[in-house]
Amino acid sequence: MKRGLSLQAALAAYRPDTELAPLPELNDPDTLLNEHHPDHLRGSMTKLTIGPNAGADCQRELADLLQAEAFIDEADLAGAQVTDTDVLVIGGGGAGCAAALAAAESGARVLLATKLRLGDSNTVMAEGGIQAAIEPDDSAQQHMQDTLRAGHHAGDPALVAAMVGDGPEVIRWLIHQGMQFDQTASGDLRTRRAGGMTAPRIVHCRDYTGLEMMRVLREAVKQHRGIEVWDQSPVVELLSNERGQKCVGAVLASLSDGSMRIVRTRSVILATGGLGRLHLNGFPTSNHIGATGDGLVLAYRMGAHLCDLDSFQYHPTGLVHPPHLSGKLVTEGVRAAGALLLNGQGQRFVDELQPRDIVCAAIIRECREGRGIHTDNGGVGVWLDTPRLECSQPGMLEQQFPKLLARTHHVGIDPRREPILVYPTLHYQNGGIVIDVNGTTSVPGLYAAGEVAGGIHGRNRIMGNALLDIIGFGRRAGRAAALAEHDRGPKKITLEHVNRARRALTLAGLPLTQRAPQILPAYTAVGKDIWKP
Amino acid sequence: METLNRNLLHPQQRVGENMPRWLQAGGSEALRGAVKDTSALLPAIKEADLRGLGGSGFPVWRKWEAVAKEAASPDKYLVCNGNEDEPGTFKDRLLLEETPHQIIEGALLGALACGINRIVFYINPDLTRSLAALKSALGQWQDGELLKLASDALGKQIKMELVPGSSHYIGGEETAAMEWIEGQLSGKAKFPFPRGKPPYPAQCGIFGCPTLINNIETLAHVPAIMRNGAEWFRNLGIGHGAGTKLYSLSGDVLHPGVYELPMGTTLRDLIYVHGGGLLSGKPLKAVFTGGPSNTLLTPDDLDVNMDFESLRERGASLGTGAMIVVSEGTGMVKRVAEYARFFAHSSCGQCPPCKTGTATISRLLDRIDTGCGTAADMATLESLCRMLPGSGRCHLVNGVAQLLDSSFRHFRNEYEQALK
Repeated sequence: MKRGLSLQAALAAYRPDTELAPLPELNDPDTLLNEHHPDHLRGSMTKLTIGPNAGADCQRELADLLQAEAFIDEADLAGAQVTDTDVLVIGGGGAGCAAALAAAESGARVLLATKLRLGDSNTVMAEGGIQAAIEPDDSAQQHMQDTLRAGHHAGDPALVAAMVGDGPEVIRWLIHQGMQFDQTASGDLRTRRAGGMTAPRIVHCRDYTGLEMMRVLREAVKQHRGIEVWDQSPVVELLSNERGQKCVGAVLASLSDGSMRIVRTRSVILATGGLGRLHLNGFPTSNHIGATGDGLVLAYRMGAHLCDLDSFQYHPTGLVHPPHLSGKLVTEGVRAAGALLLNGQGQRFVDELQPRDIVCAAIIRECREGRGIHTDNGGVGVWLDTPRLECSQPGMLEQQFPKLLARTHHVGIDPRREPILVYPTLHYQNGGIVIDVNGTTSVPGLYAAGEVAGGIHGRNRIMGNALLDIIGFGRRAGRAAALAEHDRGPKKITLEHVNRARRALTLAGLPLTQRAPQILPAYTAVGKDIWKP
Repeated sequence: METLNRNLLHPQQRVGENMPRWLQAGGSEALRGAVKDTSALLPAIKEADLRGLGGSGFPVWRKWEAVAKEAASPDKYLVCNGNEDEPGTFKDRLLLEETPHQIIEGALLGALACGINRIVFYINPDLTRSLAALKSALGQWQDGELLKLASDALGKQIKMELVPGSSHYIGGEETAAMEWIEGQLSGKAKFPFPRGKPPYPAQCGIFGCPTLINNIETLAHVPAIMRNGAEWFRNLGIGHGAGTKLYSLSGDVLHPGVYELPMGTTLRDLIYVHGGGLLSGKPLKAVFTGGPSNTLLTPDDLDVNMDFESLRERGASLGTGAMIVVSEGTGMVKRVAEYARFFAHSSCGQCPPCKTGTATISRLLDRIDTGCGTAADMATLESLCRMLPGSGRCHLVNGVAQLLDSSFRHFRNEYEQALK
């Protein structure tokens, strides 16, 4: 990477009112992606050798976990307390809560287990908003086209159709739960247009839409008598029937005392979210501390098909400076509101409202080619030109992006006067567990919803579809799981699928040393020695 | 591995429902020979020392002789028992899928030997692929030349029927099977309650007619015995054992599966040579023999020949040949509790000691397994082990008690550790 300007020099040279040269034409987006998007970094991919996706491309860090040994053995289950329930929901984010509520509303007894606390999730970090085709000049068809196009037509049309069709109903349901949205003077829902969209379609609550959503979901879950919540209870393994072909429960560990608890159930819904904390290719991440891809690991060992394991989303505007906030998000809403991206030479280099992967690749290109801005401790990035936005629409930042101002205020940066240094940050897992429109995976008894599921966003997600996805598919999975049929006969709970994976590992000559799921990143105090005696 | 798959699962035999290929591989030779002289069948089986491979190990010729002696009144029945349902046993389903003609020929030979004119194939309805294979194979026999040959030799039309089972485990018990089949044939469904013995099926079975009931695997051996001679068959075995046996190997081994090996193969050969050893190279802890209603085998038994006699001498039993291998690191209490739950659920409930005994055992084991058990629970379990055996019409309750008793003998410390 060529070294560009230093942060101090770039700040000194910055003027919010400099004349900008016209934007250079983007002739060949595919070449840009191939050359600069992190998914195409040389050496970052490998092929899976065992499991249902054997032979498929996969990120190296993820492949190591998918092809790892289980944490527990049968001996660890001796004396474990057994709890029976109808539906076990794993994950306490938006998808998990939506699924739990839908299952409970369908009459099932629900147990919701979270790794940390209810609401500790990426949902609360979603700032921009949620998409739904509710404007008069918009349609579900357009929403579908935008989603498929931005995903490079790799998404499953049936899933996308289900999601966009759910859109208006999801917003209505959220409002019924008590969620606030920004409104126009006349009381209509205020919408914004963001990267990759043909119409304004994002409804939002300032720049903390996800936080507001989680607030009402948490309250609804806590108040529902059919839902029991177990905090600080990460799942370390699923349980299968005697042939290892059906999911019949899970083993939960307690973060407080390390003890194991068995939950026996009709159906399990995985809503464990993404894997930003694996820091693929060394990128910083916008994800919360528990996003370690556990759901993918558990489902894969159980025999579920996954998809697009080589496709991840890097959000174009993660903070670079100060270092302790590295990777934290500046919402795409700022760009949607009109903020521009400028390189070290003070010039625009990409249409800011292109899909995220293109903007991200363009930023990386600028930095690689010496037009980036370097900090003293090795960071590099480009300007997000917030002062110019403030000049053109005074007061708009304060009014619409209070969360951004609060966060930067803490570290002595005022985005109204100085631009923000940004660089792509690992944000979202595009692929995941293959599901159908009811959240059913290829393993009976196992459902998935939210970021852990794949096939919806293709190879690139557009803003606002994540929140729609988690509520829409969360509720679908919850309903389907609650209506699943009971098995005849006594319920056998075994680790046969773990044995099957062990056999496959041995036969493939892979080591049995690494263990997964990771539960918490190794750089955290607990994660370092999480299950060691 | 020249000892593997020499008879039933010989590659030439595994042709599925494809009759022409089966005929090419020597199929129907035994039947064509037998129709000329049906009296040679019984002595040959006796000479071959063929045993009941559904778990009893009872000499087949004695059952056959008993049925052959009875007069048809008006019919005689043969039940080919394929209601395999117990944990860890999966041999019959493979035989049915891959060699259905061999089984049908064996059944006809048995019928000729005992003067039987009605053959019922009684198959676990959950084994959909096995059912489909057998159905298609039977279709090729009905109205065929071979069936006519056999009927002529018997002097009566032989009727072959397929009766899917009740999908209850207990339905595999021989008298329970007869009860269910009676219900299905008469159109008035009956629950497969085991009947009291005596009278034995050979005297009074389906609709009061003399009835022979043999396991699928047992019958499948008959054609090869008739083709190659009893001595050939006996020599296939090792030590006391005669012929070959299908071992269903499962659990913590690298290559689980069905292995046809000489009767009397050692556990060590089965696990370490054929099964590829234990997963992750862990040490062996125990083997549940099947379906897990028998005495446990431990690493001390690795070099015992796995035939009916040798195991009986050790106080163990071969059962159906299911070997569920568990390695160090497996909680025995949990495993035994699981199997006890299976048997408690499978009890038909007509004998009070079995109905309440198995349920109590299961409940107490669950309690101990979840860390809520007391020393008093242990004492109750031990006295149940002494009280229950022999108190039911069938063997279900004996099996549970035997399993529990042997797990106490070998792994008492694990139970005690789990107590409050």
